[in-house]
Amino acid sequence: MPAAEYVSPEGLRLDGRRPKELRQLRAELGVLSSATGSALFEMGNTKVLAAVFGPKPVEQRSQEDEKRAIIKCEYAMATFSTGERRRRGKADRRATEITMAIRNTLEQTILTELLPRSQIDIYVQVLQADGGTRCACINAACLAVAAAAIPMRDLVASCAAGYLESTPLLDLNYLEDSGGGPDVAVAIHPNYDNRVVLLQQDNRLAIETFEQVLELAVAGCRAVSGFMRERLQEHTQALAAAQDAGEQDDVGGGDGEDDDDDVMGVDDF
Amino acid sequence: MTEIVTPGERLALSAEYDAGTGTCVKDTFICATLVGIKRVLPAGQAEAEQRPRVEVVRSGVEPVVPRAGDTVTARVVRINPRLAAVDILCVGPKPVQQRYSGVIRVQDVRATEIDKVKIEASFRPGDVVRAEVLSLGDARSYHLTTAQNQLGVVYARSAAGVPMVPLSWQEMQCPTTKAVENRKVAKLDA
Amino acid sequence: MLQSRSFVKKTKKGKVLKVVREHYLRDDIYSGTPLDRECPPDCYKLSGEAAHYLLVDTNVVLHQMDLLEHPAVCDVIVTSVVLEEVKARNASVYQRLRQLIASDTKRFFVFANEHHRETYVTAEPGESPNDRNDRAIRVAADWYTKRLPARKLILLTDDAENRRKAGELGVQALGSAAYTRQRATEQPELQDLVAAAVAARGEDEQQQQQEDGGSAAAGAAVGGGSGAGKHKERGRSAKRQRVYEDHRPMSDITAGIKAGRYHQGALRVNRFNSFEGWVGSESVGADILVSGRIDMNRAMEGDIVAVELLPEDQWRGPSNKLPAGAAAGGDAAAAADGDEEAEPAPEGAHIAQVDPGEHYGEDAAAAGGAAAKRPTAKVVGIIRRNWRTRGYCGSLQPPKAGAAGGSANHTTSLLFCPVERRFPYIRIQTRQASTLAHQRLVVAIDSWEADSLYPCGHYVRSLGPIGDKDTETEVLLIENDINTSPFTAAVHACVPPLPWAVSEADLSDPNRADLRHLCVCSVDPPGCRDIDDALHVRHLPGGNLELGVHIADVTHFLHPATAMDDEASARATTVYLVQRRIDMLPKPLTEDICSLRADVERLAFSVIWEVTPDAEILSSRFTKSVIRSRAALTYAEAQSRIDDPRLTDDISTNLRSLNALARVLRRKRTQRGALSLASPEVKFEIDTETHDPLDVGMYQVREANQMVEEMMLLANCTVAKFTLRHFPACAMLRRHPVPPPRQFEPLLRAAAAAGVSIDPSSSKTLAESLDRAVRADDPYFNKLIRIMATRCMTQAVYLSSGEVSAPEYHHYGLAAPLYTHFTSPIRRYADVLVHRVLMAALGLRPLPESLRDRELMHGVVDNLNTRHRNAQMAGRASVELHTLIFFRSRQVVADARVTKVRANGLIVFVPKYGIEGPVYLDDDAAANGGADGGGKKKKSAAAAAADSAYVYDEEKQTVRSKDGGAHYTVFDKCAVRICVEEATGNRRQLVLRLVPRGELPASEQMN
Repeated sequence: MPAAEYVSPEGLRLDGRRPKELRQLRAELGVLSSATGSALFEMGNTKVLAAVFGPKPVEQRSQEDEKRAIIKCEYAMATFSTGERRRRGKADRRATEITMAIRNTLEQTILTELLPRSQIDIYVQVLQADGGTRCACINAACLAVAAAAIPMRDLVASCAAGYLESTPLLDLNYLEDSGGGPDVAVAIHPNYDNRVVLLQQDNRLAIETFEQVLELAVAGCRAVSGFMRERLQEHTQALAAAQDAGEQDDVGGGDGEDDDDDVMGVDDF
Repeated sequence: MTEIVTPGERLALSAEYDAGTGTCVKDTFICATLVGIKRVLPAGQAEAEQRPRVEVVRSGVEPVVPRAGDTVTARVVRINPRLAAVDILCVGPKPVQQRYSGVIRVQDVRATEIDKVKIEASFRPGDVVRAEVLSLGDARSYHLTTAQNQLGVVYARSAAGVPMVPLSWQEMQCPTTKAVENRKVAKLDA
Repeated sequence: MLQSRSFVKKTKKGKVLKVVREHYLRDDIYSGTPLDRECPPDCYKLSGEAAHYLLVDTNVVLHQMDLLEHPAVCDVIVTSVVLEEVKARNASVYQRLRQLIASDTKRFFVFANEHHRETYVTAEPGESPNDRNDRAIRVAADWYTKRLPARKLILLTDDAENRRKAGELGVQALGSAAYTRQRATEQPELQDLVAAAVAARGEDEQQQQQEDGGSAAAGAAVGGGSGAGKHKERGRSAKRQRVYEDHRPMSDITAGIKAGRYHQGALRVNRFNSFEGWVGSESVGADILVSGRIDMNRAMEGDIVAVELLPEDQWRGPSNKLPAGAAAGGDAAAAADGDEEAEPAPEGAHIAQVDPGEHYGEDAAAAGGAAAKRPTAKVVGIIRRNWRTRGYCGSLQPPKAGAAGGSANHTTSLLFCPVERRFPYIRIQTRQASTLAHQRLVVAIDSWEADSLYPCGHYVRSLGPIGDKDTETEVLLIENDINTSPFTAAVHACVPPLPWAVSEADLSDPNRADLRHLCVCSVDPPGCRDIDDALHVRHLPGGNLELGVHIADVTHFLHPATAMDDEASARATTVYLVQRRIDMLPKPLTEDICSLRADVERLAFSVIWEVTPDAEILSSRFTKSVIRSRAALTYAEAQSRIDDPRLTDDISTNLRSLNALARVLRRKRTQRGALSLASPEVKFEIDTETHDPLDVGMYQVREANQMVEEMMLLANCTVAKFTLRHFPACAMLRRHPVPPPRQFEPLLRAAAAAGVSIDPSSSKTLAESLDRAVRADDPYFNKLIRIMATRCMTQAVYLSSGEVSAPEYHHYGLAAPLYTHFTSPIRRYADVLVHRVLMAALGLRPLPESLRDRELMHGVVDNLNTRHRNAQMAGRASVELHTLIFFRSRQVVADARVTKVRANGLIVFVPKYGIEGPVYLDDDAAANGGADGGGKKKKSAAAAAADSAYVYDEEKQTVRSKDGGAHYTVFDKCAVRICVEEATGNRRQLVLRLVPRGELPASEQMN
């Protein structure tokens, strides 16, 4: 019965992490020039690309909301994202569920009431899946929204924690995720007293353990949000630097639309 | 030194500061809603500016959505006897990312002698117009108005394709052909 | 630092995938020794004072586990790569390694080299995973050597190439043999622990290594390795002979099984003869006989083997003689083989405590007619070995005269004789022959080559002097695989601290009834400290009675998925030996917190019925409760209270009411067809100082015992019904299968010979015919026949209700459609499970997930049944042991009854001491049996009978001497002298001899 041992008695997990460690996080912003905002987010081997288009006028007029922006979300897993090539339809239950989770989370985060009668499209694509995809998706989407300069109440950071072999484990990878233990995915608003905006759980869990696991997941979210903040600041700085350089260029060049005001300078009666 | 803030970060107490762009008031704090540089504008003299204002300015692009009361810059795309259909280009000084369409109905072209207005004597497709957002309008487009002195056509080309010079609030002239065309011309401050 | 690890994996469907996993390398992995300044103190595991540190490779762990387990081997570094490899290759060795690592005294430190930034190695192109892992181990050793220049690090590996490469790195490497030799002066024992087969290889390498050195050590190695004395030479000559056929290659076997040429099954070896066994095979339908050393072809008890049927004319039947003959017959082949060292025929049948159902296998086979031929086969391959990792208990055969090996510290090759006769002798090498000669040893088997008569093994440890009570108790515990190790700290952590009392929260729990006002009492055997049941009864207005059974609320403390639960589940039952109890739960729970002691408040799980005075059950309910037992009585005390009408206190009157109800219940049960069987139980009077038995006697069963038993049966049945109704798929039940008719044959034959008819067609008819089987002149006759009936029974087993269909839930012995165990949760894990199911059925707690997991439950139930059986066996073995000790200092002539008649002897049963064993009609019979077997051909039973002076009539179950002077038939009274004799294999055993009944002292006479 050499059952997989998820945490060795020495306190190391299969991939060498300790129980309360996140996987390596990486993020890149503005990876797609055609999108208003985009981000690539990696949690270990899980790699997710998010693109945000909008705010823009609502496409289907019947859906338009006078008071707030509507958020559309599309989640997909690349066919090559899991090792085994398996076609996952957009409409499968898992995808629908994750789509809902992402949309719900972001609806609570974006200040939709500031952008009435507009629509924000969020596309999330899982490029490589190794557990914790839904959390990575939310994180990627959050970064992309921030990059699109859509006003947000707060950043939203998401992270999962599980419970295997009587140990709460942070940020399960695929192997651990398939260990059959409970898995609690959480998204929080870190500046809002860690307000939980998403909580999903697979499998049952005793209430006492649940508290532990939740606490760990929230701690994980905080770490993720710290990382996201850093990345956003770096990105903005880089962008500002690039724009400074760009503005100098603009003085010489200039194009049609920007020239409008110059033309208006020719105004006297 | 510039302080880059991220959404949700607390910037100041709402009791002491006014919330500027890129911020919102959450409980007793003013928080950032954008990623950008935090700026504090000193209190001004005006009634509305008694307290210093904190805002987050984004170095990158910012999504702009026209709201009622905003002054927008729009390009006329087509006209018919009842209205001029326009695309909104800028809201205030900020260019919009997306195409927002608007209409200037015949009754909104000018404040006086409304019943005598002829759309074709006021706008031509291709004109750049300064207008104010009246309302969010119907499902399709914003309702705009040019019924103020400073609103109206700011840029138009003549039949010869040359930018025209305003002659009066109703006429513009082509500098090359000297032909005079009718427009609802905006009166711009010098 | 991140290192991605990718590898190619083949899926079940045959697709080939590239799997990428992350692999983090860390900076916070330390060396685990106080010598390393960077190592934080909480990582200290290795001692700073150790003379050296050992770093082991995978093969050393896999093959030299016994060496590593020796207390003198400590301060060992186990790299994670070794741990992983061991886990993949051998789960049981892995478990043992894990235990070593957990131990505080052994100081085994796990160095996570695979996640250490400096010791992680990536496979080089063309490098095999094995080579890569070996290199990883060397790199780790090198890291340690460099890190701790002050302390010697020895890389322990039996691979010469590995040692050479380590040498190049500047790491000291030794083989296990060389290492033990280095420590020989300080720990001579160590050398014996080196697994023989591997050691030999190690020695060869050692020779190679030291060839140029030509040191004295090498000389010793040659002396040790190539074997001192003739003994080994004989072994060599045997090598040329090739004793056994080679096993077929695995592919051949798989193909053969598919084609139907071979049959696969588990081998069950004859209890008395390691060279006769049965293979239960579905493909043949019947059990297949494998007989004789050559046909057995090195298969052992429990091995999964592949057999090939012999041509029908070579089919054989097992012998109908006393086991002596059978055993010798099995050995004939070996003897014919011309090996002068053939083991002496195991002498005679074992005298054993009577254990129901146990003898059946051999007896029924024999009963099938002496010459009845059975499908006979030979073993062609062993699919899976079932060698015990815990080793085999036994002792050394004294070396033959003239064999070398007298001098100390010289390797001698000796035969080791296991206590359990199912197993063959094992050849071991030892340097401590003289010290071990009179010790009980544990030996592990390493290999069994085709050219070796016996399996090769190595010494593991010594248990103590042969015959010593503690030693022999240890032996029986090991043989029955009973875990006697103390509970771990993690388990103790689950126990509430003492002193414990019912808390306010428990009392205010709305689901817990306060029954402290009830006059509850418990009745148990004297000295019982784990009281798990208590009773009460009270009169209700209207004439009915309220009857309550209160069971210790163990599940209040024992929660699923805790360390304590895992441990309890593994132990499954408390084991009761004559003077010892090996608990399933830690002592504070067993004896105090859960135990329903007198005059303290305790938590209970109660079953409460309303019954009419005629014991008609009107209603039943279950509740968690708090009770306060008024008295903890012994059976004797309870009985005297029942019997003394002058006592009118609450407890006594209640006991009388209970007893009255129990009588009615029992009568009803009997009417339904419940069997009342008998098994002779004995009890010992123990000397308080020497702890030796002073007296043995039959255990007296009082009405009070039956009263308690009746109440428990009622509770169990009620719970079984209730839980099954709520959880049809996962209730825990206990069933007793209907015994197959042929199992009754011995009983029927014996009864017929005695002129009594027994009708086994149903439990009801059986019960009735047993009731009728009385002899006016012989009050014990009925008991005897009941004892024999008990032996025809199958074992009752636990099951999860999802496993079989409803009709099979039936409990034959109790004639109950449903039965379970609910009443002893302190000492049986099955009851714990039942409590949990009941709690879920009452909605008190959710049903633990594990109980729904069918596969998991199957394993749990299997374990429960095995452990239950083992515990029973151990209990009996303990009684046997004490009987033996009792008779060591005395010879007794006792009243005995014949239970079986055989051609050359009788099986007699001594009721007073509860022992059963063979007596030979002529005292030479045992020897004759051996001689017969030694002959070229096994004689037929008739021929053997003709040789002796007795005539055997199977039909009538009688044996008569030819001169007509003696005549024995089944159930006859006779007298035997009981004494202890030394036999081969250091088995001291009871011997029974017939004596004239006149010698029987009146004190021993049965009425």
